[in-house]
Amino acid sequence: MTHSLHRRGSRETLSRDFVVLGCPATGVNKKGSAPKTQKFLSICYKHGPINLGDMKTGNIYNTTMDDILSRVTDGTIVQCTFDNREKIVALLKELKEDRPGISVIISGVTDVVQECMNEAGLGPIHSLEYSLGTWGRIEKLPDFMLLQTLTMCGHAMIAADLVGKLLRDVKRGRRTIAECVIEMAKCCTCGNYNLTRGEGLFREMLPLYMVHSLY
Amino acid sequence: MKADKDKCIACKRCFAYCPMGRIQRFVWHDRIPGRAYIEIDQEACTDCGMCLRANACLVNALYQPEERWPREVRGILSNPMTMFLGSQVPGRGTEEMKTNDVKGSFLPGEVGVGVELGRPGVGAYFRDVEIVAMALMGADCGYQLAMENPVTHFMSDKTTGKLRDDCLNEKATSAIIEGKCKLEKLPAVLKVLKEIADKVDTVFTVEVITKVTPEGEIPIKPVLENLGYWFSINSKNNMGLGEPAYNFYPQGK
Repeated sequence: MTHSLHRRGSRETLSRDFVVLGCPATGVNKKGSAPKTQKFLSICYKHGPINLGDMKTGNIYNTTMDDILSRVTDGTIVQCTFDNREKIVALLKELKEDRPGISVIISGVTDVVQECMNEAGLGPIHSLEYSLGTWGRIEKLPDFMLLQTLTMCGHAMIAADLVGKLLRDVKRGRRTIAECVIEMAKCCTCGNYNLTRGEGLFREMLPLYMVHSLY
Repeated sequence: MKADKDKCIACKRCFAYCPMGRIQRFVWHDRIPGRAYIEIDQEACTDCGMCLRANACLVNALYQPEERWPREVRGILSNPMTMFLGSQVPGRGTEEMKTNDVKGSFLPGEVGVGVELGRPGVGAYFRDVEIVAMALMGADCGYQLAMENPVTHFMSDKTTGKLRDDCLNEKATSAIIEGKCKLEKLPAVLKVLKEIADKVDTVFTVEVITKVTPEGEIPIKPVLENLGYWFSINSKNNMGLGEPAYNFYPQGK
């Protein structure tokens, strides 16, 4: 499962894009992990994520934090998305002192994540996964501008046509940009979609889309 | 996914939510004159359930029938809210490096190599998944499949990477082949993937996993740099906070 790995974009925007996952391990600490995962989720929530969820329940734009917390079971993998480096440092400092017991993973720009770990006194990254990009029939992919938004949902549940529709809806005055960003966040069940980054990308795409009629 | 022709009013509200693009067509109702409904192309639909979850249908016409083998593999791999019982992990893959700090799945000297076909928005047929899996297993590069991965589960021969014939024409939003090899075999594995890139009718992402040394060295980084492979500035990073910690260096380091 690599759904937070293949995010595309510039260093500038990716440097403010962090997905923090809490994952119990099957056969090691999964049994009885629900309270640990709930504790991890509560700690993350305290530090102000822009999005948060569990793929089997949904994210905070689909349901409530209480619902997500109450439906955590042994083995639930939870995800919190942050748009701010300082929050990650503060979160890591707390997790270092109050270890939840389950594995903690952060997707982000490698050297920025390492800096955050150093500032929190955690030492080097334990294990790392690199994306080597997209191979094969890449001519079938949407253009890079759109790809930056679509890859924020690793399950590829944000449809290219939806982004186009939302952009046209804004131009026609049917929706606000904030409403569009939340609509995209709802599609990404796990809570990996970074709304702050998403809004910036959405604003950049606005001039690129035309409407035939304002009605 | 299907639309009930007696409920659907062809309003098109669900169209935009489909990650596979425009896969619907309009059909005139056979019993109600002037009434149109939509039919979803069952060949192109991956049963991901996105249109249903979006609550876009005003008349509750969309429904997901319970699918039997082999079609059920579409939903298993494409619907993020489905859990594959073989892996015990929600989604279409395994825990891979996420729990490496407590499981020791990828030891020093080993590299995890994952190939995910189909995303975003393209989709992948299992016949293409088989091409990649058989190329990896057929080459002399010591690639070991992750046994708990759903795609591995759908193989009729796990030593060759051959998938069951009855699922080859099924399609998923994305499907991941996961496994590992020795660090010295990484160039050979990547060469295989490079060679089959123009033999599949879809896109695939490539990911590599490594244990970082206690000194902070990333063993795969010089290998990738020397071979000239692009790798992203962003990565997935295990913090090493899981308990009990796996002992990677029983002899001390």
